[in-house]
Amino acid sequence: MPDIRIVVCMKVTPKPEEVGVDYSTNLLDRANARSEINPPDMNALELALSLKDIHGGRVDILSMGPPFFEPFLRVGLAMGAERIFLLSDPAFGGADTLATTYTLARGIDHIGGVDLVLCGEESSDGATGQVPPGLAEWLSWNQITLVDRIVLDKDKHLINGRREVPGGVEVLQTSLPAVVSVKTASNEPRFMNYRIKERVFSEDLVTIWGESDIEVEKTMIGLTGSPTMVSGLAQAPSRERRQEYLTGTVEQITQGLVALLNELV
Amino acid sequence: MSETDHLIIDDAIWEELIELTGGAATICYQCGSCTANCPWGLVSEETISVRSMIREAQLGLPLNTANLWLCTTCAYCEAYCPRGVTISDVILGLRQLAWHDRETPPGSPSLLWSVYWNNNPWSQPPSHRSIWAKDLELHYYDPAKHDVLLYIGCTSAYDRRAQMIAKAIVHLLRAAKVPFGVLKDDEPCCGEAVLSLGHRQYFQEVAEHAAHTLDEKGVHRMMVISPHCYDAFKNQNHFLDKRIEVTHYTTFIADLIDTEKLDLAKPIDGTVTYHDPCYLARRNQETQAARKILDAIPGLKLEEMERIGEDTLCCGAGGGRMWMETDPGMRFSDLRVHEAKATGANLLATACPFCLTCLEDSVKGDRTSGLIVKDVAEIAALSCVE
Repeated sequence: MPDIRIVVCMKVTPKPEEVGVDYSTNLLDRANARSEINPPDMNALELALSLKDIHGGRVDILSMGPPFFEPFLRVGLAMGAERIFLLSDPAFGGADTLATTYTLARGIDHIGGVDLVLCGEESSDGATGQVPPGLAEWLSWNQITLVDRIVLDKDKHLINGRREVPGGVEVLQTSLPAVVSVKTASNEPRFMNYRIKERVFSEDLVTIWGESDIEVEKTMIGLTGSPTMVSGLAQAPSRERRQEYLTGTVEQITQGLVALLNELV
Repeated sequence: MSETDHLIIDDAIWEELIELTGGAATICYQCGSCTANCPWGLVSEETISVRSMIREAQLGLPLNTANLWLCTTCAYCEAYCPRGVTISDVILGLRQLAWHDRETPPGSPSLLWSVYWNNNPWSQPPSHRSIWAKDLELHYYDPAKHDVLLYIGCTSAYDRRAQMIAKAIVHLLRAAKVPFGVLKDDEPCCGEAVLSLGHRQYFQEVAEHAAHTLDEKGVHRMMVISPHCYDAFKNQNHFLDKRIEVTHYTTFIADLIDTEKLDLAKPIDGTVTYHDPCYLARRNQETQAARKILDAIPGLKLEEMERIGEDTLCCGAGGGRMWMETDPGMRFSDLRVHEAKATGANLLATACPFCLTCLEDSVKGDRTSGLIVKDVAEIAALSCVE
């Protein structure tokens, strides 16, 4: 049985607490926000690398985004991934999840020989959770969503993916190739390996593909390929909290608190 | 060990350890005084064999990690070592090897990632670093206007209890009319949390970035709140411009009292005992400034504990233990509270956010102690009439 080849889809997202809202346009203002690797994608990469620790094989990173993603994604190389494939072209810009998954799927086709695609369960900015199932559809592969553990049977070329459900766990089996989304915080991502960090941050380990490098239909990518229309945005009023500060001695505060709790029960 | 288990000396480990520790272990002659003096012996019948770890390091034996992460790097063993071995350097070197082998305690990679993405070990957003001071109207540091940079540090910036230390220091500096500034959200992490977990290679990156930022801001003098940050800047950060004067806040405040710029006039009726933080007392021989501040407060009587000054007992939070769980009954701070209680004091003072946290936790667990734990700065601020 040849070594398994895993591709982890990763993206770079703005730090959520630094994204502001322009209330005049109701659009997100990301201009001053610092970026990071989408935290759930770190869990996907860790799961991929732990499979490589056990079974060998190869782990690559696939991303779609502007060139500034590159130094962020190199963190994944320092964790143990082999290579980065970055789909970067202005023509890919403005994509919704349909066009994004189409483009990523063509990237996976172009890489070739991929057995398993792992994704974080969702991104911290879009938070749709649609990319893993969308990818599986475009690739016509099986999928398991929200797993926290994968057991690989290399000889039979299948995986068992475990996920939590209310009241227990499900273990789902699928043949490979397959797409799997990984539950956020289901593992602790390893820190960068400083024996290789300097090398992988400087060596030519990044492949950048534009529109003409992968086989894509022009009408299916970027803004043109995105049927999602935002018809309107509105602010949801935040719920007013009832605040009451109790003062006095410890006994008075305690009695006041008990009285308030009694009103509620 | 059975007769068939042979120890295999690994030349690669040996060479790497020599490099990582600067050969610190080589001069050890295995007398075992480190094991005998290790404070873990005070809370456990079977103490950790520091001597064995040093021996393994000398020989380049494959790593036995069981006890490696218990060390609080308090340096008590170093004080008694007849050969002057910098034992905590050996421990941190062994930890660096454990990072290479990914044999680190759960949670420690997340701590390093937090420093990497957030510039603090507390997994807090970098843009929230100065929220603690939002009502204080602090000035951004300007070398042309300010005598000193007040370096807050991650713990005093984010931990609600430790924020009170920073607020007390601000109160004292304003009372003494000291022109000072802060770096707000631009303040760099000192990296001590990373170093304490043994990742010296990543620490070098953090230290270089911190030194570069301080240099860029034109800092010539800085006052530091945590003794851990203080030690990191003063002794560990080799990128820092040697012309930058690094002072712990206790020294700075004691000088203000000496030069009559700060008057602690309001009496505090009570008895205080002072817990010396390891990173001030043992690592930096700074034991008098905090006592000078406490002595200056009218009405306050200082009663010393059994282990004081450079002979202090660690609170248990150094060496990255701040981020690990220590079972009740195994906490050095419990012993310290017991010692403090024996002095008859009603106030237990310290000058370190980590010590404050540990001692306060132990006081909460001992309802009979009758002790209130406060930082020296908080006590001084109570006595200071602005």
